[in-house]
Amino acid sequence: MGEFLNYTVNGALIGLTYALVAMGFVVIYRASKVFNLAQGELVVLGGFIVWLMMIQLDLPLIIGLPIAFLCAGIFGFLIDRIFFSRMAGQSVFAMVMVTIGLMILLRGVVLVAFGAQVRQFPAVFPVFPVIWGDFLIPQAMLYGGVITVCVALGLAWFFNRTRAGLRMTAVAEDHQVAMSLGISVRRSVIIAWIMGSMLATLGAIIFLSNRSISFITSEIGLLALPVALLAGLESIAGLILAGILIGIVQGLAAGYLDPALGASVSSVLPFVIMLMILFIRPTGMFGWKTIERV
Amino acid sequence: MKTSKCFLAAIAAVGLAFGAAGAAKADNEHVLSVASMADFTGPYADIFPPIAAGRRAVFDWWNAEIGADLGVRIRIREYDHRYDAARVASMWPGIRSDLNPVLILGVGGPDVAALRERLPDDKVPMIMATAGYGYAWMSDPWIFNPRATYAHEAAAFLNWYKEDRSLDRPVKLGIISSEASPAYVDIARGMQKYAEDNPDVVELVETIWTAVQPDDLTAHVHRIVRRGAEVIQIQTNTAAVVAAKRALQAIGRPDVVIMTSSHNGLPMSGSALGGIDQLEGNYEAHGQALGTADPTVAREFYDMLVADYDLTAGWNVATIMGLNQGIVAVRAIEAAVAEYGAGNVTGEAIREMMFATEFDTAELFEILPTLNFTREAPFPVAGLSVNIATVKDGEYTLAELGYPVPILNPW
Repeated sequence: MGEFLNYTVNGALIGLTYALVAMGFVVIYRASKVFNLAQGELVVLGGFIVWLMMIQLDLPLIIGLPIAFLCAGIFGFLIDRIFFSRMAGQSVFAMVMVTIGLMILLRGVVLVAFGAQVRQFPAVFPVFPVIWGDFLIPQAMLYGGVITVCVALGLAWFFNRTRAGLRMTAVAEDHQVAMSLGISVRRSVIIAWIMGSMLATLGAIIFLSNRSISFITSEIGLLALPVALLAGLESIAGLILAGILIGIVQGLAAGYLDPALGASVSSVLPFVIMLMILFIRPTGMFGWKTIERV
Repeated sequence: MKTSKCFLAAIAAVGLAFGAAGAAKADNEHVLSVASMADFTGPYADIFPPIAAGRRAVFDWWNAEIGADLGVRIRIREYDHRYDAARVASMWPGIRSDLNPVLILGVGGPDVAALRERLPDDKVPMIMATAGYGYAWMSDPWIFNPRATYAHEAAAFLNWYKEDRSLDRPVKLGIISSEASPAYVDIARGMQKYAEDNPDVVELVETIWTAVQPDDLTAHVHRIVRRGAEVIQIQTNTAAVVAAKRALQAIGRPDVVIMTSSHNGLPMSGSALGGIDQLEGNYEAHGQALGTADPTVAREFYDMLVADYDLTAGWNVATIMGLNQGIVAVRAIEAAVAEYGAGNVTGEAIREMMFATEFDTAELFEILPTLNFTREAPFPVAGLSVNIATVKDGEYTLAELGYPVPILNPW
């Protein structure tokens, strides 16, 4: 029973971390209708900025992290200005191709700027786990889970209660309708990229705290993909549920199926669930259904 | 006027003489091409610059000091395949038509997986720097590993560990591996088979499968430690070593030993942890020279390459991997030149020499033990040994030199 609880709780917490990374996908998709395949690379870039501030420049946490978030926001802004503002009116396919190009470019930038070495990532959260008998929770994961839920609530409030957020929600519904209402789509897209980039940095901090970072860390983006697609690409709150679901399934599979079958079933299962759900409900569990009048 | 004409004529004569000498030299010099596979932008990009530098320095040394007398020059060209089997497979036809190599220097699992079926038809052998793989453990090989499989090396370490600690019971082992690469899976499978065949040496507690960039491993590591694991074998990558070490520190069990290989060894993993002292009491075991500060023949050879052949890579396991691969390659080519003549060196000739030659450890500058390849396997099946390093009082230091590799059954 103790082990079952361990796998379930730890799985749920890891799933929440995936949900946080997946929020970057969703925020950008809602505003620009672009599925950002370079989200994993944004996580790496954000992580390396944190590494630069806290390990290389040895800045204290309270100064290093705000500067890292500021830099991440500026990167998000620049990405939009340089690549996506020029793509206004282009097809979704063209936009996705640009994100693939961005992914390759960012990987190269990270390699040139920070090298290929595996680097020490600072310990942002307490390193010792919470242990009650057989029950163990790493504190980074615990803090990460709480932060993810808070960020999701904050974003839900932002998108539903603030003027800027409501504008972005209108943009997410339909660009042309939003423009006809006098809403600046370009401004919403810029804000989305800034938010997406900052969320990626937050994901890096939680996922990598007290571990290591290298350019292959971008794999995190791939791990978050089933959560984003399972939730549906428009729902922030749905990400929490999808993250917990995927995390628990993965945790239990790692605890019971992997040792029994001698294979990494846990790494495949989230994608199997994602495909099954998408077969039944292509918009994901909480994605918006579009009804078009012909 | 007359003087200037004489002067010009003299210059022309000298030029002609040099030209003729150069042409004669070019006629006598046979150029052999070697395809040097690399991973500068994939998961092993962190260690590949020193590996490539080590290879290049050995070829430069050989061309200048041995090849020049034999009338042979080895030309190498690097191809970055990002540790991706599909990319290797797509690049190989282009490499053949572009370079027509007589030999390939491989990177690891992906080139073995992609080329092992093709090389017998293309008649080009491949020499690796890494340990071998169970899935490529076949007779009549075209791929040659100067080290036995990772499982062999880990098994040797566990035998040594049991002996060193005077244990009268099997060593309780946990494995952390990944399904991201066929080579990683093979490492775990090999050790699972060894544990099954040798219950008196190893008791396998569990294999943990992770991603290349693992999630938090605290809960997994806690589980295997509670089940009694005293050694954790990690021969995949540095990120996994860091995640496992952090997990052990978190649960207050730094006494549980981590065993790494060469490509994710103690200095590299220590650097990613923020200091090698964090790996106090952990081990690195592999079948090539260690990168410790001890004065050795291998180190002397390296120092000579630094002094005379512009080798700038540091003295570390990655550079030594490049040296090990380079030195076996040039000794095989040298043997082929001696046997077949400089103008008749082909891929087939080099392969034949891999079987026919005893690669004496002295000729390999003690970077590797004496190697005797047979047609039974891609690596020497007998006489291999591992060197073991540890961190003691914060220093990367030698723990054991030349511990024999046990015999393993194929898996």
